[in-house]
Amino acid sequence: MEKLIIIKYGELTTKKENINLFINTLKQNIKEKLKNENVDIRFDKGRMFIRVLNDNFDVIIEKLKEVFGIHEIVIGYELKSLDLEEIKKELLTLLKNKEFKTFKVETKRSNKKIPHISTEISREVGGFILKNKENTKVDVHNPELMIHLELRNTESYIYFERVEGLGGYPVSTLGKGVLMLSGGIDSPVAGYMAIKRGVKLEALYFESPPHTSIEAKNKVMELAKVLSKYNNEIKVHVIHFTEIQEAIYKNIPHEYLITIMRRMMYRIAEIIANRCNAKILVNGESIGQVASQTLTSMKAINEVVSIPVIRPLACFDKLEIINIAQKINTYETSILPFEDCCTIFVPKHPVINPDSRVCEEYEKLIPYKDLIYNAIKNHEVIKIKDEKQQNFEDIL
Amino acid sequence: MIYLDYSATTPMSLDVLDSYDKASREFIGNPNSLHSLGVKSKELISSATKQISELLGVSESEIVYTSGATESNNMALLGSAMAHRKRGNHIVVSKLEHPSIYAICDYLKELGFEISYVENDQDGLVDFEDLRSKIRPETILVSICAVNSELGIREPLKMIRQIIKKENPETIFHSDMTQALGKIPVNVKDVDLASFSIHKVYGPKGIGLLYKSNLVRISPLIQGSSKESSLRPGTPPVPLIAASAKAIRLGIQDLDRKETFIKKLNEKIVEELQDLEGITINSTKYSIPHILNISLENIKPETFIHAMEEYEIFLGTNTACASGDVSSTIMAVYKDEERAKSTIRISLSYLTTTEEINRFLNCFHIVYKKLNALVV
Repeated sequence: MEKLIIIKYGELTTKKENINLFINTLKQNIKEKLKNENVDIRFDKGRMFIRVLNDNFDVIIEKLKEVFGIHEIVIGYELKSLDLEEIKKELLTLLKNKEFKTFKVETKRSNKKIPHISTEISREVGGFILKNKENTKVDVHNPELMIHLELRNTESYIYFERVEGLGGYPVSTLGKGVLMLSGGIDSPVAGYMAIKRGVKLEALYFESPPHTSIEAKNKVMELAKVLSKYNNEIKVHVIHFTEIQEAIYKNIPHEYLITIMRRMMYRIAEIIANRCNAKILVNGESIGQVASQTLTSMKAINEVVSIPVIRPLACFDKLEIINIAQKINTYETSILPFEDCCTIFVPKHPVINPDSRVCEEYEKLIPYKDLIYNAIKNHEVIKIKDEKQQNFEDIL
Repeated sequence: MIYLDYSATTPMSLDVLDSYDKASREFIGNPNSLHSLGVKSKELISSATKQISELLGVSESEIVYTSGATESNNMALLGSAMAHRKRGNHIVVSKLEHPSIYAICDYLKELGFEISYVENDQDGLVDFEDLRSKIRPETILVSICAVNSELGIREPLKMIRQIIKKENPETIFHSDMTQALGKIPVNVKDVDLASFSIHKVYGPKGIGLLYKSNLVRISPLIQGSSKESSLRPGTPPVPLIAASAKAIRLGIQDLDRKETFIKKLNEKIVEELQDLEGITINSTKYSIPHILNISLENIKPETFIHAMEEYEIFLGTNTACASGDVSSTIMAVYKDEERAKSTIRISLSYLTTTEEINRFLNCFHIVYKKLNALVV
């Protein structure tokens, strides 16, 4: 009998044609996640089996909890036999140290050649436990201990506890997107939700030194690091936005500062997305949250690009967003008080219902195409991985 | 040289010294500065703090850097007393504490606080019944060390916590864990406040920690920051903090293996000394093997220590911070003044070798015989 981890796939089992792509990608993602662990991964269409060669089950399960596309994580015991008598014998050994008064046996039989049907097996094994474990009862509704049996081609599996996985699709099965990542609460959550649906993200961050500090940038990298846990790793495109922002501030009526700044950011984001073959932009906009997120504003800003813009948080309340941010551990970093591009040069009365024709007129006042060209030409790409800060390893 | 006073302080590990050196050379910025050198130093500190908090199983915001365990003890006791004096003026401590705790208590008495000293049994364990009876509604703090510095007695903090919190859930529980870290597994979650010293775990002198649970509030002892969160304002000592992270990481590795080895050395010494006339072993069944305490009936401990020093063997009397006095710990456990006046502390490390112990025992016999001959 061998102890191992069994992965149950999430929603992807409903995909017919693409199922191999989904499972293979999931395997790749798991392999990447566990690259520092000593494991052997095998799979079929229904399950993935991870043999843990260094007995590091707890660590590995914690890591698997960060992989999208997993419905359930189970610690199971594999028996190279379908013989019911052997299964009973092994089960009894496993139950030796377990305290329980009520139980239920549930059997799954993917191998239909086995002569007994699932309910017969459950009944027989249940009867055997009643006979061999004193003071136990069957309770089919609310058992203290669930005993799961799975009979597959030539092996059978016994397991008890199940850990919920993250669900969603394996990252990158749906292609790539560019996340507009600021240092705030919303954009990391939006990124998390896009990754959940199988989108592999690259992030885009606008910095305006000396108006914004290194600390603000480090904060964004810290947030990217959290996302990289789910995204395998994440590339962050850093755009030097100072010239554009100063040109806007000097030349454009202040109530339109934010609208025009956002239009510039969208234009840049679309170019970056095209360059890295991303199909969508993702951002943390939520309807009505600030002046640039009224419906009229969204329209005036969105108009400058043709790429689809996905706003996972469009219809979320701020508190709902904060809840997710706390759950994925970005909240504490997001609320660190460093100025970002969107908080410097803020007008007293930003326009709530901007007109795109007005925007176009104003934009003629600055050579924005050249400025954008320069910003993109000089942009920096940083790869972020979820690893301990390596620079300090030799010291700490 | 044979060093057997590891509970007083430890030699700095070369790996830790290397961290100290690197951090001093490469991270010159003030972590409070805005420029990139400052930010770099700040990043090193936050990585170090993260590492320490993970090793101790607490959150990063629960670690405060101090100058050492004495300051940590001050921060814990005075800080709690100041923050909660409206709630009560009563503090309970054991009779097995480090002298710094009693000095702080004496000061608190002057400020109008009432101090109770909880009894212990003949093996040095805190008397649970007595503890229970001493906790009152106005008890703001209980302080009991994890491992006593003279006899090495290990107190059952988890049970003590249960008693305290049952009697008065608002009472803060502090433990001086200086002698525990690096010797036995510590569970800081058993307490609300815990003091640590880094030079006891092969790290640099001049730095200590206070663990402060986020659920308790204490007042800062020194002012200097407008930030409410800062308990210890001032420029953080970057190299000391980096070295601390390294020292703790290395210090708590392989505790079991180290303890098994030290236990063998301890047993060897006990076996040879226990039958000598005029020698009493003071360590009890709850003492950790790293600390072996004995009393010499007829010889003054100072004399004995200096005599051993001639052979380049270095021992301790009672705790380094109270050398020369009557040992309050031995008094508390054995209630025998003669015995409490004549203690020698032999403290061992995983660095100690069997050869060192052999030589120590040889010299011990020689010195003991020589000094005993002078006794009238």
